[in-house]
Amino acid sequence: MSSNHNETASGELPKRHKVEGPQKHVVGFILSLALTIIAFAAVAAGEINETFTYIILVAMAVVQVIIQMAYWMHMKDRGHLFPIIGIISGVVVVFTMVIMALYWVWW
Amino acid sequence: MDWLTTVDHKKIGILYFIAGFFFFLIGGLEAIIIRIQLLKPMNDVVAGDTFNELITMHGTTMIFLAAMPLLFALMNAVIPLQIGARDVAFPFLNSLGFWTFFFGGVLLNLSWFAGAVPDAGWTSYVPLAGSIYSSGHGVDYYVLGLQIAGIGTLLGGINFMATIINMRAPGLTFMRLPMFTWAIFITSALIVFAFPALTVGLVALMFDRLFNANFFDVANGGNGVLWEHIFWVFGHPEVYILIVPAFGIISEVVSTFSRKRLFGYSSMVFATVLIAFLGFMVWAHHMFTTGLGPVANGLFSIATMLIAVPTGVKIFNWLFTLWGGSIRFNTASLFAIGFIPTFVMGGVTGVMLASAPADYQYHDTYFVVAHFHYVIVGGLILGIFSGLHYWWPKMFGRLLNETLGQITFWTFFIGFHLTFFVQHFLGLLGMPRRVYTYLGGQGYDDMNFISTIGAILMGIGTIAFLINVFVTWAKPRNASNDPWEDGRSLEWTIPSPPPEYNFKQTPLVRGYDAWWKEKMEGKTAMTPAEPVGSIHMPSPSILPFIMSVGLFIAGFGFMYDQLIVAGVGLAITLGCMVVRSLIDDHGFHIEPEEQDKGVQA
Amino acid sequence: MSAHDHVEGHLPHEPEKATLEARNKILGFWLFLGAEVVLFGTLFAAFLALRHSVGDGPTAGELFQLPMVFAATMILLTSSLTSVFAVQAMHHHNKKSMVTWLIVTILLGLAFLGLEIYEFVEYVHEGHKFTTSAFSSSFYTLVGFHGAHVAFGVVWIALVIGQVFKKGLTVVTAPKVYISAMYWHFIDVVWVFIFTVVYLMGKVAG
Repeated sequence: MSSNHNETASGELPKRHKVEGPQKHVVGFILSLALTIIAFAAVAAGEINETFTYIILVAMAVVQVIIQMAYWMHMKDRGHLFPIIGIISGVVVVFTMVIMALYWVWW
Repeated sequence: MDWLTTVDHKKIGILYFIAGFFFFLIGGLEAIIIRIQLLKPMNDVVAGDTFNELITMHGTTMIFLAAMPLLFALMNAVIPLQIGARDVAFPFLNSLGFWTFFFGGVLLNLSWFAGAVPDAGWTSYVPLAGSIYSSGHGVDYYVLGLQIAGIGTLLGGINFMATIINMRAPGLTFMRLPMFTWAIFITSALIVFAFPALTVGLVALMFDRLFNANFFDVANGGNGVLWEHIFWVFGHPEVYILIVPAFGIISEVVSTFSRKRLFGYSSMVFATVLIAFLGFMVWAHHMFTTGLGPVANGLFSIATMLIAVPTGVKIFNWLFTLWGGSIRFNTASLFAIGFIPTFVMGGVTGVMLASAPADYQYHDTYFVVAHFHYVIVGGLILGIFSGLHYWWPKMFGRLLNETLGQITFWTFFIGFHLTFFVQHFLGLLGMPRRVYTYLGGQGYDDMNFISTIGAILMGIGTIAFLINVFVTWAKPRNASNDPWEDGRSLEWTIPSPPPEYNFKQTPLVRGYDAWWKEKMEGKTAMTPAEPVGSIHMPSPSILPFIMSVGLFIAGFGFMYDQLIVAGVGLAITLGCMVVRSLIDDHGFHIEPEEQDKGVQA
Repeated sequence: MSAHDHVEGHLPHEPEKATLEARNKILGFWLFLGAEVVLFGTLFAAFLALRHSVGDGPTAGELFQLPMVFAATMILLTSSLTSVFAVQAMHHHNKKSMVTWLIVTILLGLAFLGLEIYEFVEYVHEGHKFTTSAFSSSFYTLVGFHGAHVAFGVVWIALVIGQVFKKGLTVVTAPKVYISAMYWHFIDVVWVFIFTVVYLMGKVAG
């Protein structure tokens, strides 16, 4: 589905824009699907050591989110410096809160 | 009507100033009554529960409804001018931010009239603030008032970040930004990442109180320490949100009135970023005595002490700016110069408190009260007064009266130190905080008396400022573009007050202290970066006002268990959002002929 | 560029970025998403702290049915893909295709919501109500807030579709499509963490 816009209706000087096709996004989808299935399978199988299962789950989730944000939300494209800084800052804050919740809340 | 629908940052700045100062007076009145009650031992001016209401409302009002709005006033008045822009990125949201703050503040203070005032402290700890121990509606006013006001703050944070990133004049790179703009940029980032935590905390408390949820109800598996964590993950960055803009103001004022470039600009920027980052890593220093354990206490102690380092860098940079400068003493610069030692005093007691074992002794005593008033009042409020006097001519076209300004400064400054210096010793002697009275003969009596006298002096200083405002209002609006004659940044290149569109032509920036640079090369105006042309302006709108009223109504509905009323309120707000989305507003244009006639804001 | 450029041939390559106002809106929305990261992060933190406090109610392991969660995940993931296709169609200036993909997206979103409502009703019948325990309150708040975000997104995209029908694909409506798609991706990203942390880890812990 890749096309180069060689002319506009008004016949202006052609601008060569490569409008991307869906390939990369579909690849992103398939990867997300695979990561999701692995995560569900790891739990459904039930025989994997608990800690190891947690590690697999977190890893699958983090990788999937990175893929979705890079490809579907264009974070890997140019002009996304501030979005990247913004999201990473939010993640850093959340990371400290998760540590708080897991280790520093007791009854 | 113009004031209800305006989306002009300059007018919104004035609205924030009026509302913020109004709430400052209310918070100040609450403080004076507190100090009168504590004037002597076993006093009976107000009873215990009223006292708890007073301290809660004093803290909540001062932080959320006075200090932050006054900062937003200066942010709105100055930032677009300092970056050569014609308004903020989202003028409609700017207005919405103001009106939600305003109605949130009104809702909170209506509690006085409803006879159900929040009384669990501005920190609203559970289980005291839960439905068992605060069964009246008081804490609900706190939860809903802050929730509504908080929406406005978050929108403001997003607005100013986008404005500073996207709307700088040509040539204005990040490392050429005035320090106040840098400070606001960093503050806005703090707001964006800290306020959502408060939102969740308030939602959880609201659900517990109104819908029988169990976040904090220990009997059903909830946890009180969780509230403290969530609150302080917000609360600590909040105090940096309060002080970082003041740091920016001091940088501007010190530099201008020393007629000298700010010393160590890059290190200032880096230090401020570091302070902001570290500010998210230290929240549990408010929780040393809860039983976190030695590892956590140790980590948070060290992180807290670390913040003193970049802060010290800033202090030295201001001192080195003053050193060798041609210093002018006026009200604005006096407040800035007074800030420096006062804030340092507050900072060093902060380092004392940062030591967890020592904090076990200081915790919940007047030592803590002394510390935070030194940094907030001695830091932020002195900074705000400095900024107000400095930028007043730009906002209102008149210079504040210098004699009244000096009276304001000296009474407030002396009163401040009288009030709070002695409180360090009260704390060290063991006087607890949040107590409505004390027994005589423990060594507290004289110092409490002095503290109250100081508070009255601060009240007099504040009244002097108010008189100054009114006296100045009556004077003709004839300030020049650069009334201090030593302006360094872009806001001093346009009329005071600026025309509606700020800059007839966006200026071209050639360096840091852009205007000073041009002046030193003999120019009398900035070089324009664009030809004269039609200027695109945003249209006013009544929707932000209506949306805020909707939230206000919804707040009452939720509080008094009238879910239909709550639904109606939310529907009004959501309905306005739909209207805003569907009806495109393309603004209007100001043509060059009208620009020459001088369209006044 | 003005709002009057609604003849497809005159539309620029990336119409959502064609004006300063549009670029401001996209940047502002990214910053808002940064705030939402912290918002959901706090809800997650509260959930994590309270996940064992089940009181008299069922535990996570007893409650959650993996096949249903998997189905919901697939629906939402696919809807995120279809919203990508919609934005691509927009870049090809193909209004009809764009609107079709957007409609598919909100239909999938509605399916997700339907499944979630069904799931919650089941849980209530099994003794897992909002007021049962700290675990249940934090569960419904976290997952419910996500569901509310999905519902908001459905209404939002529907309104955007309506506007495109009325005004066409212009430099004013294009950013609206783009930003609503950003929002939709974000709620799928949040869902990745919800199914991982709440459902899968809950099942593992029993």
